[in-house]
Amino acid sequence: MQIKSSGITDVGLKREGNEDAFSVEDALGLYIVADGMGGHLAGEIASRIAVEVINKAFHKWSAQGVGEREIFGAPDTSLSLKGNYILGGIRLANRIIYELALEKKDFHGMGTTMAILLVTPSLVIAANVGDSRIYLVRDGEIERLSRDHSVVAEQVELGMMTEEEAESSPLRHVLTRNLGSSEDVVPDIFEIEPNNDDRFILCSDGLTDLMSDDELLNMSEEEPEPGRLCRRLVDEVLDRGAHDNTTVISVSLSDIVNSRGGFFQRLGYMLGDALFSIQKRARKIIR
Amino acid sequence: MEEIMARLVLMFNKQVVKEYPLMKDSITIGRNEENTIQINNLAVSGFHARIDAAGSDYILTDLQSTNGTFVNDKRVVSQKLSHGDNVIIGKHVILFIGTGKEAEGKQASVKSDLDKTMMLDTAKQKELLSKQKESTQVADTSTKIGVISFIEGAELGEIELKKKLTKLGKADTSEIRLTGLFMPATAATISRRPSGYVITTMGGKLKVNGEVVKESIALKDFDTIEIGKVKFQFYQRETTEKLS
Repeated sequence: MQIKSSGITDVGLKREGNEDAFSVEDALGLYIVADGMGGHLAGEIASRIAVEVINKAFHKWSAQGVGEREIFGAPDTSLSLKGNYILGGIRLANRIIYELALEKKDFHGMGTTMAILLVTPSLVIAANVGDSRIYLVRDGEIERLSRDHSVVAEQVELGMMTEEEAESSPLRHVLTRNLGSSEDVVPDIFEIEPNNDDRFILCSDGLTDLMSDDELLNMSEEEPEPGRLCRRLVDEVLDRGAHDNTTVISVSLSDIVNSRGGFFQRLGYMLGDALFSIQKRARKIIR
Repeated sequence: MEEIMARLVLMFNKQVVKEYPLMKDSITIGRNEENTIQINNLAVSGFHARIDAAGSDYILTDLQSTNGTFVNDKRVVSQKLSHGDNVIIGKHVILFIGTGKEAEGKQASVKSDLDKTMMLDTAKQKELLSKQKESTQVADTSTKIGVISFIEGAELGEIELKKKLTKLGKADTSEIRLTGLFMPATAATISRRPSGYVITTMGGKLKVNGEVVKESIALKDFDTIEIGKVKFQFYQRETTEKLS
């Protein structure tokens, strides 16, 4: 499997500091975007802690081959072992930020969103908390692999609000989940099989506030090289006023072996089908 | 300037019934006695509406009440409360008195606050949301689990798709093991995604409702799926088990 990736963060035009943090670790196949919140630099600290903790925890657990039950908190049986590492990392980072926020007055109210992508040759894991997103671009289509945890997104899911109403709602930045505001956090985690030429985009809401899913799809189709795609997306956001910090990571996959069968495998199926129908007919004749 | 605590004034027939200072991060209004503000009137739902603190603002959310929640005669789903707003629930009116800052009329600064991402600071929220879901029986939000039911080619009966990613094939590591002379190690996978269940071919000959699928396709209830000579049907059912 070949991975190409790139990530950029930009403070934007209206904010003084950058509360976003990200990491790109091709060796681990681990990509993270975090969008912090809270005054007095607390937001910047929260997002950086989250990225650090998850990177370190994941690295350590996978290097030692730690079992499901030795990770932080009860394992989720619907997930793979790697999925449980990600879940454990998120829980751990949440607890650390939560405790820090309780301890220091300056840190009170600090928190962060989180979008995590793990890529392995046999499995892709997407996990998120809050409104930072993960997109999959495959076969000319774009799909969200994350679920926004915001008041408006929940109302859209309940059918109480349309997507259009949500985009213009004054409540669109009010989150229902983040890391740091309560003792425990429940992320959304999805697992899929990777395909050749799969492309992923992770981003903070600085991007998605100003760009629709379709625009994202068009730009990523026009610009296959991850570094240039990130640059173009951020430049576009800056052109549109960049009221918030913006972070984008682009990951593209190629040369995945063992995905769909090659010529000989297909030939095998054809022979198999032919054999089967001959058998069937033969049975009928015998009867 | 002294900061005044925001408060709610419950009124009926233009008479003040009671005043409630907004001391907690989250309060609820409804007929049930567990509510912070209980209104014993049949026009009011068990858990009718909720007000949450978000930064220096207060946000009113209708909990899918039968008769709706109104702010100044306009029906709302969710709205930021402004100083002097009348929240109408049944025949009761709740007057919102904002904090000192907002009562001063500094609406502009309050508005720009909302442009920032913030967290709904309430611990009770989840608990209430789950209560809300129970009481309103919204079918599409209750936990559903995908099930595949075998029709031909394998005697596996019904299998619940408990994993986020289910592999179907000959390999020992497959969640659902299928046999057959030309069955690949992994023939197909079914993944649970934000949009629902999706089946992807991994080398097996996959048909959904008779049509060949070359990549992946979203599954709908009662789709018929064929992998080689194995045939099964997909549907979703309510589950009592908690899916994360």
